Amino acid sequence: MRKNGPDMEIALDVPRLRAVPSNPAPPAPVPDPSDAELLARVAERDQAAFEMLYGRYVRPVFGLALRRLGDRGHAEDAVQEAFAAVWRSASTYRPERGAAGGWLYTVARNAIVDRLRRNGPAAGAELPELASSEAGPAQQAEESDTAWHVHRALEELQPREREVIELAYWSGLSQSEVADYLGLPLGTVKTRTRSGLAKLASVLEGELL
Amino acid sequence: MNREPSFDELVGGETSGEEREQLRRVHELLLEAGPPPELTAKLRKAPGSEPGVARMQRRRVVKRRGLLLLAAALSIVVVFAAGYAVSNSRHAGTSSAIGVTKTLQLTGTRQAPHAHATLAVLKPQAGNWPMTLNVTGLPTLPPHAYYYVYLVRDGKPWAPCGAFRVASSSQALTLTLNAPYKLRKSDTWVVTRPTHRGEPGTTVMRPVSA
Repeated sequence: MRKNGPDMEIALDVPRLRAVPSNPAPPAPVPDPSDAELLARVAERDQAAFEMLYGRYVRPVFGLALRRLGDRGHAEDAVQEAFAAVWRSASTYRPERGAAGGWLYTVARNAIVDRLRRNGPAAGAELPELASSEAGPAQQAEESDTAWHVHRALEELQPREREVIELAYWSGLSQSEVADYLGLPLGTVKTRTRSGLAKLASVLEGELL
Repeated sequence: MNREPSFDELVGGETSGEEREQLRRVHELLLEAGPPPELTAKLRKAPGSEPGVARMQRRRVVKRRGLLLLAAALSIVVVFAAGYAVSNSRHAGTSSAIGVTKTLQLTGTRQAPHAHATLAVLKPQAGNWPMTLNVTGLPTLPPHAYYYVYLVRDGKPWAPCGAFRVASSSQALTLTLNAPYKLRKSDTWVVTRPTHRGEPGTTVMRPVSA
């Protein structure tokens, strides 16, 4: 019996089955976008890119602001001003003039200096009458620069690597105590610490190493 | 004073030569940089939308007066935390050295519906984990009755970390507490109104995420 027209059309619409491999290869991991790519997207008002950039830089910017301003409230304001400036002026970033991290550092530093001017000279800015053992402005700037790079590099680690590094360096716990605290085998903590340090070395190569 | 991490303990003997020297340099940079700051609640999240960024700036101007008042309260918290940080950190004197290991937001149960609190667990010192509790909105209790801050482990109140009283439910309190125990990452805390026999009693505040 001959099929009528619509039936034939239906038959033609049915997709043909194709043989698929029994173990399809997993999709290749998509690399995280670079800072420069994120800035370009922020310039086009991409909120998701802004949030990603914020996640990468908020702690280094806050750390820088705290070091320069010495006050948590003012530092918070400076961070917000810095990221508002990033949102406003992302389109002015030119990759050929330098790395995006450097551009963000400049934006953050300007916001902090503006905040410093608005608040008047900090108590510590007055010239001491006696010789002080504290670091001078040049050394302070160098320390801030180091902290900026190191804190930024920490954001590149996997959270589980960052966690063991932060506990190992700044909690006062031994590796065994870190393992107890996290409920992990000691070997796992040691492996994560070593891989975290190696990744930091890779990120900081060319910047501070 | 806290121990400084040992490079040899952290890295072990599995690396050598140039690679080991590079790791040692990273180790020195970490010590030089000091800890990254703990983000405040305000900074934990990026502004949610484009108008949000613009609004952020407008709000900042309006909030300036309020912030001056808040600064006084904030400075109390900073002073408490800085006290611990000074003895803990080789970078004492900078606010970024204030080491907060964990921050917990607590909210009131039906017994204290208007209560809110922030519990900050600071860096440990000789087996003690100092904590600051900033709490508001808890009802006042009868004379000789106290609130307890209880460490919760495996879902149950496990050990007390200090008691306190509330003179006025509208007044914010900043308290210093301590957990002299071997803490685990999964540990959490609640505020309870204990029974007269000192048992944990009724939970009046619990973590927001719980």
